[in-house]
Amino acid sequence: MTKENLFEEPGLKQITVWARGVYENKEARDVVVAITEAAASEGRFVQAWENYVDLPDRIYVPVRAYGKISDQEIKSKYVYENEAPDIVALTEETLVKGVNILEGIKPGAVLVVNTRRPAGYLFKFIKQGTENLSKIVTVDANSLAKSIITLSGAEGATDASGIGKGMGAALAAAIVKATGIVQFESLLKIVGNKNAAKKAFEMADVVEVKTLVRAG
Amino acid sequence: MSVQVKDVPFAGTVPSPKTENEGMITGSWRTRRPILDKDKCTDCRMCWISCPDSSINLTNGSVSFNLKYCKGCGICNEICPVGAISLVPELDFEE
Repeated sequence: MTKENLFEEPGLKQITVWARGVYENKEARDVVVAITEAAASEGRFVQAWENYVDLPDRIYVPVRAYGKISDQEIKSKYVYENEAPDIVALTEETLVKGVNILEGIKPGAVLVVNTRRPAGYLFKFIKQGTENLSKIVTVDANSLAKSIITLSGAEGATDASGIGKGMGAALAAAIVKATGIVQFESLLKIVGNKNAAKKAFEMADVVEVKTLVRAG
Repeated sequence: MSVQVKDVPFAGTVPSPKTENEGMITGSWRTRRPILDKDKCTDCRMCWISCPDSSINLTNGSVSFNLKYCKGCGICNEICPVGAISLVPELDFEE
């Protein structure tokens, strides 16, 4: 039995959020926590956690936060990394360069980026894994809310600053718009910065990767 | 990102000082790239002294950046007395 077919879970959706250490560690966690909490409120089975290997207390280091959402009970709940994400989100645009963000994505996966730049420009920097990518979503979340910089909650203890008060709320809204993984109304009930989430839901720009390949 | 156990250095230590370490490449951490304005530079070498990652090379008395390891912390930009080093968003560069 290989690692690949250890768990057959067709209904399972995996979300991986990449961020920069210290500055956006909290926002990455907020994105997965907000979306999974929203899914849980819809009666689905969820998990949200952070990568154990990354170093969130080092400034600018790439760090990951994970979420799992399923209609059935999650069998692979002790697998501590998302090996085949359906959704990849970046809290910061330069992660497209030099980091293999799309590693292992499932066919039809969606990439959501917090950026001012157009999707076509970012697409040029992604060197690996684009054959399975279906959409790139861009949203300027930084213009809607600031990043909450705190290490509270980074060790799994009390998260003093609340869920979705910063830019993560906007990024989560963009993910929901592009993928429909949860109802937007359920997300709005969870996040603190409801204004940013609403605006990001309108602003987010969804681009099909097929059109980018033809153009470039 | 995950590393094979045999590749992980013991407690992150390096046996002896060296300029290259394939296990600790930090260039992908960078969000802003330092750019030197050679006309303004006075060769005072404050940036070379201050760089915490020794990512500033000194060749023939003038400084250059080792972008393989520069993580874009911006200390060189802060410390430069004549403002010769600017920080440019990394995605402005294609390479």
